[in-house]
Amino acid sequence: MKKLIILSTIFAFLYTSHLHAKTIRILMETVPDTRYLQELLPEFEQQTGIKVEIEAIGYVDMHTKLVPQLIAPQGSYDLIVVDFYWVGEFTKAKWLMPLDDLVKRDNINVNRYIPALMNLVGRVDGTIYMLPFYNYSMAMVYRKDLINDPNEKANFKAQTGFDLKVPTNWSEYWKQVEFFTRDKDNDGKNDFFGTVIQGQRGDCIAMHWSNFLYAQGGRYNANNGEPLLNSAAAISAMAYYKEAIAKYSPEGSASYCFDEAFNIVAQGNAYSLTTFNIMYAGFDDPKSSSVVGKIGIAPNPGGGLNGAWGWAIPNSSTQKEEAWNFIKWAESYKIAKKRAMLGGAPTQSKIFNDPDILRERPYYPILGQVLAGAQEFPVFTYTTEFVEKVGRELNLAATGEKEIEEAMNAANKAYRKLLVKDGKL
Amino acid sequence: MIWFLKKHQKNLKLNKINKFTSHFILILFSLIIFLPIIWLLRVALTNKVTAYKIPPEWATLNLNNFTEIFTNNSFTNYFINSVIVSIGSTAIALPIAASMAYAFSRYNTGGSLLRIIVLSTQLLPPVIIVLPLFTLYLKINLLNSITGLILAHVTISLPFLAWILISFFEGNVIYLEQAARVDGASRLQAFLYIAIPVSSPGLIAAGLLAFILSWNEFILALILSGPQTNTIPVGLSSFQSHRGVDIAPLAAATIFSIIPVFLLLPFIKKYLISGLSLGALK
Repeated sequence: MKKLIILSTIFAFLYTSHLHAKTIRILMETVPDTRYLQELLPEFEQQTGIKVEIEAIGYVDMHTKLVPQLIAPQGSYDLIVVDFYWVGEFTKAKWLMPLDDLVKRDNINVNRYIPALMNLVGRVDGTIYMLPFYNYSMAMVYRKDLINDPNEKANFKAQTGFDLKVPTNWSEYWKQVEFFTRDKDNDGKNDFFGTVIQGQRGDCIAMHWSNFLYAQGGRYNANNGEPLLNSAAAISAMAYYKEAIAKYSPEGSASYCFDEAFNIVAQGNAYSLTTFNIMYAGFDDPKSSSVVGKIGIAPNPGGGLNGAWGWAIPNSSTQKEEAWNFIKWAESYKIAKKRAMLGGAPTQSKIFNDPDILRERPYYPILGQVLAGAQEFPVFTYTTEFVEKVGRELNLAATGEKEIEEAMNAANKAYRKLLVKDGKL
Repeated sequence: MIWFLKKHQKNLKLNKINKFTSHFILILFSLIIFLPIIWLLRVALTNKVTAYKIPPEWATLNLNNFTEIFTNNSFTNYFINSVIVSIGSTAIALPIAASMAYAFSRYNTGGSLLRIIVLSTQLLPPVIIVLPLFTLYLKINLLNSITGLILAHVTISLPFLAWILISFFEGNVIYLEQAARVDGASRLQAFLYIAIPVSSPGLIAAGLLAFILSWNEFILALILSGPQTNTIPVGLSSFQSHRGVDIAPLAAATIFSIIPVFLLLPFIKKYLISGLSLGALK
């Protein structure tokens, strides 16, 4: 009888321990990097006994879903991922827990991250709020089969006097864009394009046009913080953008976003595209591309737009220590490497030089260059509103509905107003 | 006689031309509605690279996307959740709405002021009520639950249904009820055994509307549900990410999500259209 009672007690304890096993809930985006992490979750659960529930939703709904959770004194999510767009808003609203004390306590070396990414989704005004999770910096993808074709090389040399190779400056790239725009079926209309513009108003044009700005040596802000959207470089960038829409990009590209542009290249109808580096793998997938093995990747001349997501612990989390344990595990070199081997977009410098990874993904050194040269997009409290307002003016200029100077002056004025509202000027 | 036959022939010919013309125009306009669905079906039966080909390819059609959404995706979960939430919210909202409509119609409960208050809740878009609901659900532990979602959908469909059903209880059914009362039936008996059966076309129409409303509802499901309780509209939005749109699986998921509403089509035709117009007669 005594033995039965003891055994029953032990059993009840074990059973209820299982029932009360901690579970942390994470909200993430439906991207392959989330899927790779989900594949590795059993390792974390085995090591720590903490169960992990990942809720993955589409990007367009994430902000809407996140904000009520962050406002509430106690939210449902113990851990979230934050797009660089929202960093300013979330930190100003004090929704994210500073991580400096935890980083110091557990000797986490944040210098392992690529500095540009740590500045984007890591430190804000000197305080660490996030650790970079995955990057989506922009790069140039191009048809390497065309660039290596002897006939194309000969024709390009004859036409321009220059060698056809991976472009490293804007002038070189633009000659290639002009050269490759052609009428292949001789019906009087171009059907192969040098580039694909993503001119849809808002986020699409703001991010895409930024690469044109950087290629002209332009920046969003001067050293003193003053906006530079009406600088000579910005106006030149818009002139090229407008010309591309008119002559070197498919009809309708003024309303394209990233997916439409990807599909033009994937259907074999364009030479090059500036897009997120994470789209590159899709060109080698026969289910989504008819140019498998034909696409190369290179840094955008002048540097591409920097983009990334970071891990953050909301102040509304009720299991902050467990969430921190998860971040430490997910960002340990062993797991970060495994994620990269599966196809994830890394954020730690060492991974780009890891021999195992280079064997699987030989283009990683180029990605390392892309990240090293990535340029900043304005990140402040009103980034989302900035993208809407400036994106509108950029689209009006690109489509000819407004004169370039008038639109860029309007964009600059709108940007300045938001900077003043945020106390940056 | 011959003149009569010739005139009859001419009329027949004119009738045929008229018939042909009217059918042609109707088919043309129907295509405007049906072609996007046919195109969607085509995309669902291909992969992404074939989906975007111009001119379109029709040769390599397969069911891989349908398999994928049920094996690699949580679509089965979303579908089951949507069915439970839609049926559950309809089953709760309809009797309450019928009772409210009956009270408004027979007893003029609250007068026109209450009717306007009930109707005015329809002016609020769901995004206005979602945050207060979220805060309330957080406190009473209804967040991320099917029950919570059902109750939320009841709050948005109930006023609408009550308003529609008022006119069904103001028709000839009043006389039938009076006759039943004379024969000794109580108010409740008159409501249950006379008013409800006579107004059944309207009730079925209202039920169908409530189901469709709940089936397509997005913002409440997005904010109030979790990974285990997400519904189809939330699930469909997850096919769009920073890596682009998974257009082929999305098309397959969309086709599957319209199947229940498609199956309701005979009932919609029979009850919704006739039921709603019946309520207009007094």
